[in-house]
Amino acid sequence: MVEDKKYTTVSIPTPLFKKIEERIKGTGFTSVSSYVTYVLREIIAEDEESEEAFSKEDEERVKERLRALGYLD
Amino acid sequence: MVNYIVSGLERSGTSMMMQILYLGGMKVAFDHKRKPDEHNPKGYFELEGGKIINRLMDGSFPIEKYDDMVIKVTAYGLKFLPKGNYKIIYMLRDLDEIMASMSKMIGEKLGEEDKKAFDKLNKYALKLLEERGDIDYITVRYDKVIENPRREIERINNFLGGILDVEAAIKAVDPSLYRNRKEVKR
Repeated sequence: MVEDKKYTTVSIPTPLFKKIEERIKGTGFTSVSSYVTYVLREIIAEDEESEEAFSKEDEERVKERLRALGYLD
Repeated sequence: MVNYIVSGLERSGTSMMMQILYLGGMKVAFDHKRKPDEHNPKGYFELEGGKIINRLMDGSFPIEKYDDMVIKVTAYGLKFLPKGNYKIIYMLRDLDEIMASMSKMIGEKLGEEDKKAFDKLNKYALKLLEERGDIDYITVRYDKVIENPRREIERINNFLGGILDVEAAIKAVDPSLYRNRKEVKR
């Protein structure tokens, strides 16, 4: 069985790469890759959180069911 | 002042917990507007005929009148609890069992979207319990109460500060009422 590689490569436009290089100068990020990984993780975590959140739509569905169960007018 | 609350999703065993506390000697507040029925043969132990959430939503429920008493406020109602000092027993039960029980009660099969919405409500309520500084809480699993009433009621009694008559409270647990039990494939 072949083990999955821990890292893989994605391509980004060179001008964007250079902008990120500039941006991370003097920060704790040691490479463009580590910065991009950090940003993508943040975005994915935010999305996952909003998927898990009790939304207005969920609330309306719950209220409809609670009315049917006799817990709400 | 402290308000004791039994909470959890509807059909998660909140009525059973109210009965446990009632037989265990706590002051339990309920009215008789909602009569016992096939879904809750021992009664619902609710105020406002079960519609306390409406009164909490519009801010007209006089929670201060229930100082040192136990009331039932199901999960969605926790969103509207005014600032106070609460000790909450939050019931947990397998979500498929809850859905099956709700479906029977409503007379309509609830679907995946309903399950997801109630799952999110459950998580929302647990997060709220964790985050509010005026709430002390314990979670209790319905199946564990049925499996070992003494152990679970002693744990609850410990949370409540030892005010329950455990021997009397145990009598409230009736395993024959554990219907809609999910079959576990072995």
